Amino acid sequence: MTTEQTPTNRRHLSLFAGLLLGASFMFSVTAPAEEAAAPPETPAPPAGNLASEYTEKGADTCIKCHDEDSEFPVFSIFKTKHAQRADKRTPFAGLQCETCHGPGANHAKKVRPGEKQAPIIAFGPRSKLAPDKINPVPVAEQNRICLNCHRGDARIGWNASAHDSNDVACVRCHKIHAARDAVLATATQAEVCEKCHLKERADFHKPSVHPVRFGQMACSECHNPHGANTDALLAQPTVNQTCYTCHAEKRGPFLWEHAPVTEDCTLCHTPHGSIYPALLKKNLPLLCQQCHTVAGHPSVARTADSLPGGVGGPSEFLLAGSCTNCHSQVHGSNSPSGVKLMR
Amino acid sequence: MDISKQLLLLFALSAPTAAAVAADSAGLGAQPLVDTSQWLCKYCTFEKGWSGTVDLGATYVSEDSFKFGEYTGLNKKGAYFLGDGSARFRGEDANYWNIEATDLGLDSRSVSLEGGQQGAVTLFLNYKELPHFISDSAVTPYFGTGSRSLTLPTGWVPAGTTGGMSALPGSLHEVDLETKRTRIGMGVSLIPATNWRYSLNFREETKEGTQRVAGTFFFNSAQLVMPVDYVTDQIDASASYSGRQLQAKFAYYGSTFNNKNQSLTWQNAYTPLLGGATEGQLALPPDNQFHQLLASLGYQFSEKTRGTADIAFGRMTQDDPFLPPTLNASLGAPNPPRDSLAGKVDTTNASLKLVSAVTGQMQLNAAYTYNDRNNKTPQAAYVWVTTDSFVNAPRTNLPYSFTQNTIKLSADYRFTPRLKTSVGYDHDTHERTFQETDKTREDTYWARLIARSRENIDLTFKLSHAQRDQSNYVPVPEITPPENPLLVKYYMANRTRDSAGIRVDVAATDSVTVGLGADVSRDDYPDSALGLTNGSDFVLSADVSAMLTKKTSLHFFLNHEEIDSKQAGSQSFSTADWFAENNDKIDVFGVGVKHSVLENKLDVGADYTTSRSTGAINLDTGTPTATFPDLVTLLDSVKLYATYHLKDNISLHGAYWYERYDSKNWMLDGVTPSTIPNVLAFGEQPPSYHVNVISLSMRYKF
Repeated sequence: MTTEQTPTNRRHLSLFAGLLLGASFMFSVTAPAEEAAAPPETPAPPAGNLASEYTEKGADTCIKCHDEDSEFPVFSIFKTKHAQRADKRTPFAGLQCETCHGPGANHAKKVRPGEKQAPIIAFGPRSKLAPDKINPVPVAEQNRICLNCHRGDARIGWNASAHDSNDVACVRCHKIHAARDAVLATATQAEVCEKCHLKERADFHKPSVHPVRFGQMACSECHNPHGANTDALLAQPTVNQTCYTCHAEKRGPFLWEHAPVTEDCTLCHTPHGSIYPALLKKNLPLLCQQCHTVAGHPSVARTADSLPGGVGGPSEFLLAGSCTNCHSQVHGSNSPSGVKLMR
Repeated sequence: MDISKQLLLLFALSAPTAAAVAADSAGLGAQPLVDTSQWLCKYCTFEKGWSGTVDLGATYVSEDSFKFGEYTGLNKKGAYFLGDGSARFRGEDANYWNIEATDLGLDSRSVSLEGGQQGAVTLFLNYKELPHFISDSAVTPYFGTGSRSLTLPTGWVPAGTTGGMSALPGSLHEVDLETKRTRIGMGVSLIPATNWRYSLNFREETKEGTQRVAGTFFFNSAQLVMPVDYVTDQIDASASYSGRQLQAKFAYYGSTFNNKNQSLTWQNAYTPLLGGATEGQLALPPDNQFHQLLASLGYQFSEKTRGTADIAFGRMTQDDPFLPPTLNASLGAPNPPRDSLAGKVDTTNASLKLVSAVTGQMQLNAAYTYNDRNNKTPQAAYVWVTTDSFVNAPRTNLPYSFTQNTIKLSADYRFTPRLKTSVGYDHDTHERTFQETDKTREDTYWARLIARSRENIDLTFKLSHAQRDQSNYVPVPEITPPENPLLVKYYMANRTRDSAGIRVDVAATDSVTVGLGADVSRDDYPDSALGLTNGSDFVLSADVSAMLTKKTSLHFFLNHEEIDSKQAGSQSFSTADWFAENNDKIDVFGVGVKHSVLENKLDVGADYTTSRSTGAINLDTGTPTATFPDLVTLLDSVKLYATYHLKDNISLHGAYWYERYDSKNWMLDGVTPSTIPNVLAFGEQPPSYHVNVISLSMRYKF
């Protein structure tokens, strides 16, 4: 049995959406106080065999050494959202530096010249003060510290996602001690992603591209890098739903649909870059002839004899728009006479 | 799934969520608190007040080129104003404002404003323009470009071929194909309690301009300028909860698309082959809507086991009034059986994932995904008119539906902290209606190794093998004339896919990192006598970053890609009698250097990027034919830049940018409006340019 979209159903949907959001609101305002208090006062469990004793003066202890002239300056943290004490969710409203870096008393102890400081939780693959330079704090441990606070919203599906499975640390992409995190800005995000995604960087140098290389579009407009149970970590449930966020004119539904178009845009298009116009995977007419073999003009081999000056004379099946010289409505038509996608 | 079931399922999903939220605090555990009474943070330099930068300057572009300015707006020769700026305010009680403005003097300008009280409320407002300069070499005899009606000039003499159109040479005028998107977004986020967030975002995007389309009368076609005047409104409303054990998000997404032009009519430039076919009408994209309810849950069952679930119910609708089947009144074509489509597609997207670290070394992962597009658009028989020329027998519309089920199982085993392996199995089924095969199944087996050496060499190696089978391929009886029975459409065909990839990252020294990658993939369609028969992709990548000295850094990257495919066709509508091979090669190389000439005074840098691609087509028909010239593109780009710091808060920035682009495309090369006898073409030529850009700007920092 099918359900027609009646006004009543629409009202039901709207009502339900309202109730759902309303119910969530009720839970939020009645949430127990303990729950509302986030983890700042809750120490991050130390990784490995690191010490569990905290410094006496918190950040003031750390800053004594980690000034702007040190090997690891930290003052830029004060330009970030993490260093906002009035926001009770932030590290600096809690255990300050040690919220993320763990108990630091041992690390802060004075050492003799030439002697190394005791280790502390450090982030990144080659941090010298990691417990062991060769074998630093495991990525999963680093990420767990971030996830202590950043587990919700788009990061719900982080575990076992592509980046998690490939041992990508949060700090591989995010700069925590920086006034501006490049990966959060449209103009600079791709540079961060492309450090690993080398093929995609090359794709965006092809002749037909989405405007990522020009800083006009971010990777995260289509992808959720923090994990999604979708192909290619797409931000929307399917490829087509992702494309429709900017190309809603292709959504339809149309009277005359083109089957592969409604199924998956990437059957004909490649999203990052192509040497063919309109991000097509292949040149026309061969692209269309992969599926169209009807007796008559669609099945004829269109050779270079039909180029200008060729023995066959310039062909409408090969030149200018090729198949789309006539079948211009390849994404679907809503004309009663559009069955052949020509109206 | 009907609406009542969908709502029931969503409610069922939300009920345990509510209970779990209430119980979530229990999961926090009782950890000892730290005495922070002496943690005064008196040396902490928290940011206060206003700060920011203002960049003002000018740039000069030496040549007109749509391709050069395709997405930036630097498409015309001349001077442009450079204006960028950012400002931020940090006040008491976590009050803040961020203001960003970029490219104010260009067609790609944007302004954004975000502020509020961190941890309590966030407001944002943004504005963005995004141009797309498509073509600046098109000519047309039609007037009214950009409107919904294209007319031929007075005195136009129709002819049987473009060569016979005597008024054509004198009627051609240039027409630019370009669109511009203008986005206005606004939103608010509220955090009523630490773990809760409510967001309401709205975005309106207008897209205006012109695009390329074509219209035909039988085999006599003309490239036409299509008006683009779209408005798309999108709204996101969500409530999310993030606790230690439970995370949840409930959301509504709505999108409405409005096209101010329902159709495009154009006059027939040819002598009508049948009487009355003097004017044609194309349907333009119809108004439509999409509404979706979404829920996401994550639950930490224990320290080692986590589950997540997503579900979304959506509905696409489209009910624009139908156009008449033809403008040719002499045909007497009957009206459509309906006034509008009443198009309706219900979408359901769901996924479940369970991840468990069963031991300290082993993690098991299981995921299930369900994607359904249930097209409930009513079917009817439509009398249709071929290109406004004659009436055909009715055809019934085919509302396509799809269902995809995917199961993914994998295991990760960490032999040592530096060695991890993963193996997995994916099972994917696609079901389709009104298509040649009801169901395809694909099984994928994969393995991956991640290793790290003591010398800071990271290595990732992966292998996969997939086998796809279809149930029973039968041409669709409703589609006439029929396809060759030997054709198997590639996206439903039996297929084996093998792929391998290796990635090596070497931290050669503390200041030099090297990344190398190679990927190869091959598809075979063993049972496809016609259509795509195989394809392959090979990619080689390299990336080097080096701090040569404390003052000089170097960056280099290289990428080589080959994409090959083969297909077969049949001109005789029997077995394969022609074969085509595509070979694409793409090389991209880039190098950049930055150098601090005078510390904190003068910084200089240079970037060079080159990209070359060729697309070769070989067609074998069994008889000698001419060979296709390669499709070629070439891009060289050099940028030189320098920043001189006049004072602590004032700096000068100068840049020189040279870029050249050349392309050869046999689809366009030498094709004038009258080259093809039965296509009145735009006569566009492949883009080519040499552009020099000089810019000078001053930055004031406050």
